Amino acid sequence: MSRVLCVDDEPAILRLLSVVLAHDGHEAVPAATGREAMARLAEGRIDAVLLDLGLPDRDGLELVSAIRAAGPVPVIVVSARSDVAEKVAALDLGASDYLVKPFDGDELRARLRAVLRQSGGGTGGPVVHGPVAIDPARHTVTVEGRPVSLTPREFSVLQCLAEAGGRIVTHAILLERVWGKAHREDVEYLRVAIRALRIKIEADPSQPRLLRNEPGIGYRLDASD
Amino acid sequence: MRFRVLPYLEALVGLVVVTWLATAHPAVLDLASAALLFLLPVLLGATRGGVGPGLFAALGGAAAYNFFLIEPRFTFQVHRLDNLVSVFVLVAVALVTSRLATRLTAREAEAREQARLSAEVAELSALLAGSPASSALEQGLAALSARYGAIRLLDGTHLPEGDAAFSPLDLSAAAWSAHNGDTTGHGTEVMPAADWTYLRLAPKNRTDSGIAALARPVDGATRGQVELEHLAELALLLGQCRDRDQLENERSERERLKQADELRRTFLASLAHDFRTPLTVLSGRLSELAPTSEAARDALGAARRLERLMADLIGAARLESGALAPVVDSIDLTDAVAAACAALAVPPGISLARAVPADLPFAAGDPVLLHHVLVNLLDNALRHARHRVSLKAEAAPDRILVHIDDDGPGIPKAERERIFQRFQRLDGSDRDSDRGADGTSSGSGLGLAIVRGFAEAMGMTAAASSSPLGGARLTLSLPPFRGTAR
Repeated sequence: MSRVLCVDDEPAILRLLSVVLAHDGHEAVPAATGREAMARLAEGRIDAVLLDLGLPDRDGLELVSAIRAAGPVPVIVVSARSDVAEKVAALDLGASDYLVKPFDGDELRARLRAVLRQSGGGTGGPVVHGPVAIDPARHTVTVEGRPVSLTPREFSVLQCLAEAGGRIVTHAILLERVWGKAHREDVEYLRVAIRALRIKIEADPSQPRLLRNEPGIGYRLDASD
Repeated sequence: MRFRVLPYLEALVGLVVVTWLATAHPAVLDLASAALLFLLPVLLGATRGGVGPGLFAALGGAAAYNFFLIEPRFTFQVHRLDNLVSVFVLVAVALVTSRLATRLTAREAEAREQARLSAEVAELSALLAGSPASSALEQGLAALSARYGAIRLLDGTHLPEGDAAFSPLDLSAAAWSAHNGDTTGHGTEVMPAADWTYLRLAPKNRTDSGIAALARPVDGATRGQVELEHLAELALLLGQCRDRDQLENERSERERLKQADELRRTFLASLAHDFRTPLTVLSGRLSELAPTSEAARDALGAARRLERLMADLIGAARLESGALAPVVDSIDLTDAVAAACAALAVPPGISLARAVPADLPFAAGDPVLLHHVLVNLLDNALRHARHRVSLKAEAAPDRILVHIDDDGPGIPKAERERIFQRFQRLDGSDRDSDRGADGTSSGSGLGLAIVRGFAEAMGMTAAASSSPLGGARLTLSLPPFRGTAR
């Protein structure tokens, strides 16, 4: 049971969110404005934030940074804006995930589970994600117990995705972490590495079930189905 | 050079004074010093009036010297040869000095003229630069016309044929200037019989130059080389001003289009936003009820369809308004196909098979637009299939092909182009019959029009043919990715 701050200026959406969250036993804490959201957050005991970007009193993207600056609470943007640039901006500013309205209740709960799981986890030890287990200390990867040999770049990409714990990681962030700042826009580097990774870890590389792409945004490591 | 009397008078006065000085005080001045005195009127005459007065003073001085000072005095007889020397010296000094003085005067006049021309260029520059772009050219033309006579600006590529002011010879001269880059017409070496002089508005190396036509001087004179060169320079200034004017116009036009574009984009984005909020509540509430209520399931299906129709309508509006700005990047079709399949619900009783080779080259396209295209193509196939839909990607020479097949009724040959037009549904066939699980009508009639519109915006093509599965085959042809253009 978690307390989830829901920020949206539409009362009907807030009521819908509280029903969707109640399914998993979460408690919805409603806020209609950016100011109210920051006040609720300051009161504490908030485990995650569902944030609409179109708020009456404050720019949504700015609020993403403000919430991230205030503490380690994960933010999922739930917006009616489907602009790729805006999604990427929100993710790069520290949002954990991005859902476009109209969203699917099951999907929202799955994404929320992923961020809640992640925010509790530590770093340094082995990361297990579905059939994939990554040991950063030993630089080894196993898929269903079977060791897989990866190049250093492939390993870094997989590690980045695994550390995000099912959350989407933008192309730019992956490229920057693995190839360096100068290559933030060389998406084809990433495509080549992902293709090679799929051949090594996916059961059917042409129908990927682990390494998922969101067009124009980035990749996620998702073993949920 | 005009004949001027004054320098002669001055020389004469000088002679009289010097002669008086030399004769009045013979005790003070000896003969040689007196001869030197006679140089003064020569210098005076030569510098003030040139060769004429100089020689006049020299010969007059020699005569006076001989007559008044040399024995026998008061005669012009010369007894000793060395007296002749003084005559020669006086003449030589007169010649040399006058030559030097004339040259100096000419130089001075030249410099003054040069300064005047430079000042005129600077004046015109300042006038053109200081006036608002819209009226600068007009003001510059007015200023030049006031000084040099009528000036008209001609378009180098569309000469004013049929204009009574320009004879056929004049038009030829103008065309010559436009094409060969010379100054032509009256006063020049090229077709000097023309009534106008033609000056280029742009340097020789530019082919799109306009021409300034300058009427011949009213007094019937012919303009000199220097003046023509100066006018050519002024014409270039006018040309620069005209270019600036044009650039300014183009820039403001671009700015206007950009703003209109921005407005359309914002409008479409807010339209999508306003549709989505109520749809979210609708489908969200319904999907919570769906597991227990058939009515809710039906309504949910309808709400989902509404979402798709809205996306299509907005897509069509973006195409229509030209607000589409594809961002081309590398695309792994494995990614694109997986994302499209994940976004669709496959109706019960239909199978969706897909085959994307692992070594397929990357395609070039906008990932978001391509997603919309693939979703629409698959949705179309799923709605018309009886049992099977298949997606197959393959590499062709210089292209990547994606075939989407169904085992539905297919598309008659005659209709294969028409289905990509807006609001086209095939009458009398069940191409538009419902295949959705919800029992509501499906298909906006926009789906395939958007496929074609988006595809073409990204340099792809979409075409229909018949499928080995028995139904329709829709083929999307994508260009391969050739690396970033950076």
